[in-house]
Amino acid sequence: MPNMIVLAKQVLYTQDLRIDRTAKTLKTEGVARVISESDKNAIEEAVRLKEKHGGKITVLTMGPAQAKEALREAIAMGADEGYMLTGPDFENSDAHATAFALSAAIKKIGEFDMILCGETSEDQYSFQVGPRTAEILNLPQVTYAVKITLQDSNIAVERNLEDCYETVESKLPVFVTVSREINEPRLPTLMAIMAASKKPMTAWTAADIGLKPSELGPEGSLTEPLRSAVATGERKRVLIEGEPSDATEKLVTALVGEGVVKVA
Amino acid sequence: MRAAQKPDGVWVFSESPAVARELLSKGRDLAGKLGTHLAAVVLGEDVSETSKDLITFGADKVYTVQDPSLKTFQVHPYSAVLTELAQTYRPDVVLVGSTRSGLELAARVAERLKTGCCTECSKLDIDAEKKCVVADRLILGGNITETLMIRSKPQIFTLPKGVFQPLAKDASRTGEIIQVQPKTTESPVKVLERKPKQFASVRITEAEAIVSFGRGLKKKEDIPIIEELAKTISGVVGCSRPIAEDLKWLPIDQYVGLSGQKVAPKLYVACGISGQIQHITGIQNARIVVAVNADSKAPIFEYADYGIVGDLYKVVPALTETFRRLSSK
Repeated sequence: MPNMIVLAKQVLYTQDLRIDRTAKTLKTEGVARVISESDKNAIEEAVRLKEKHGGKITVLTMGPAQAKEALREAIAMGADEGYMLTGPDFENSDAHATAFALSAAIKKIGEFDMILCGETSEDQYSFQVGPRTAEILNLPQVTYAVKITLQDSNIAVERNLEDCYETVESKLPVFVTVSREINEPRLPTLMAIMAASKKPMTAWTAADIGLKPSELGPEGSLTEPLRSAVATGERKRVLIEGEPSDATEKLVTALVGEGVVKVA
Repeated sequence: MRAAQKPDGVWVFSESPAVARELLSKGRDLAGKLGTHLAAVVLGEDVSETSKDLITFGADKVYTVQDPSLKTFQVHPYSAVLTELAQTYRPDVVLVGSTRSGLELAARVAERLKTGCCTECSKLDIDAEKKCVVADRLILGGNITETLMIRSKPQIFTLPKGVFQPLAKDASRTGEIIQVQPKTTESPVKVLERKPKQFASVRITEAEAIVSFGRGLKKKEDIPIIEELAKTISGVVGCSRPIAEDLKWLPIDQYVGLSGQKVAPKLYVACGISGQIQHITGIQNARIVVAVNADSKAPIFEYADYGIVGDLYKVVPALTETFRRLSSK
């Protein structure tokens, strides 16, 4: 019966983010905070493995106080308990500092056979926290999983790479990152979400997991953000009007002029 | 291995020789600005040809590690070797190709070296004031460009493939090939099988023309309208994320966007795609973007070079027809 820890990050729902092009700012007001997509797939996969093999699922998150909602949702999906790392010390941690904090929490949680998380987070898109955490914990890593088969103390994983699907085998314990293709996460019922509030959820500060503030946040990070700006992809923005036949004629002429189409 | 006396410039690594050539082009630029030299690292079973090839594409030296255990990419043995090389020869900067393998390798090696890493960088430059490499990368669904520096050495950056044009091959270039034999380790993860993916004749990431569609296309049965246009301009068909992920009308490898394929065609035609940043980020390296959309307020028009407001069911066949007429003249 596998003992699983799932790492899940709560992020702004990026698909609802809009740029105010005049003010050149990002509009985040009213944008929901949700579990990052492939992390949700990781929770779902753990629940499916538990349905088949039994075992236990612990969800671990790091973030502001609202991240508690992510734990509740994960529990409503089928996880057994949740831990969150929260407090100002954890804020603005880069991939290294984040992996460092998560690893310390995992060591405190104790025994596990498998750690799962999404291949990347929807907000930072760095693909780093999984492999970095695996490295700190000295675990074999199996990334981009689209199928997981558990057999005794072995795991077979099909991985999604650019040119092929690769099937690999590893002994437990192992660290697995999953791709979104792996499953369709279930939508927990309202009843399940309400019931989830009664399940155990524990918040830890840096001191609780034995870390110094200097090991976290900007000070504990190895990268340093210098500045940020709204992304503007500058294009020509020429609108071509008219009936389809006229408009397409004008368009094709323009494209030939740009040298981007081959016409005999 | 001997310990290096002084730091060792800019390195490039990719498990794909084609990507390594692209990285050398950017690496040459950075090494020039930093006043240092450029080295490539090549791992494999027999890589003497690749090593010589990379010198003709701009490397001053090549660190070559040959061992049967390195025949194909596996993250654990590759990380062990790359870490040991970096500890011995101490590069200042390491550029890694942002393939899926390159990403997991870069993160694992960076953590073992206790150094910072910026993945999927859209731009690398030298900060005049800080005299170091700074990276731009897109965050928050492609809405924000963040500029970062790395405080530790080596500074590891991963760069997307298909963005940098390799330098012209110069067969007369000479360079040093350094054979290294670090400790090799057996992978704790065993590869059982590799099933190649089936692709259309041209991969979307390599296509010169792409015709993509989004939710503006009402039924799966209507896809031939898009295919006809693609065929006419010798292009391939792509789509937006919901078409592949939610509706599953096209394979997942055909969707273009931040989390999907990042493409760099000469011509990109977006039909019935609203233009979420997620999608726009995937086409930022396209030369010319054309948008066809019924909604004149669709954000796609902000990110297009040419736009036609209209029903794609009328405009796309008309466009196909116009191209055909022109090519038959």
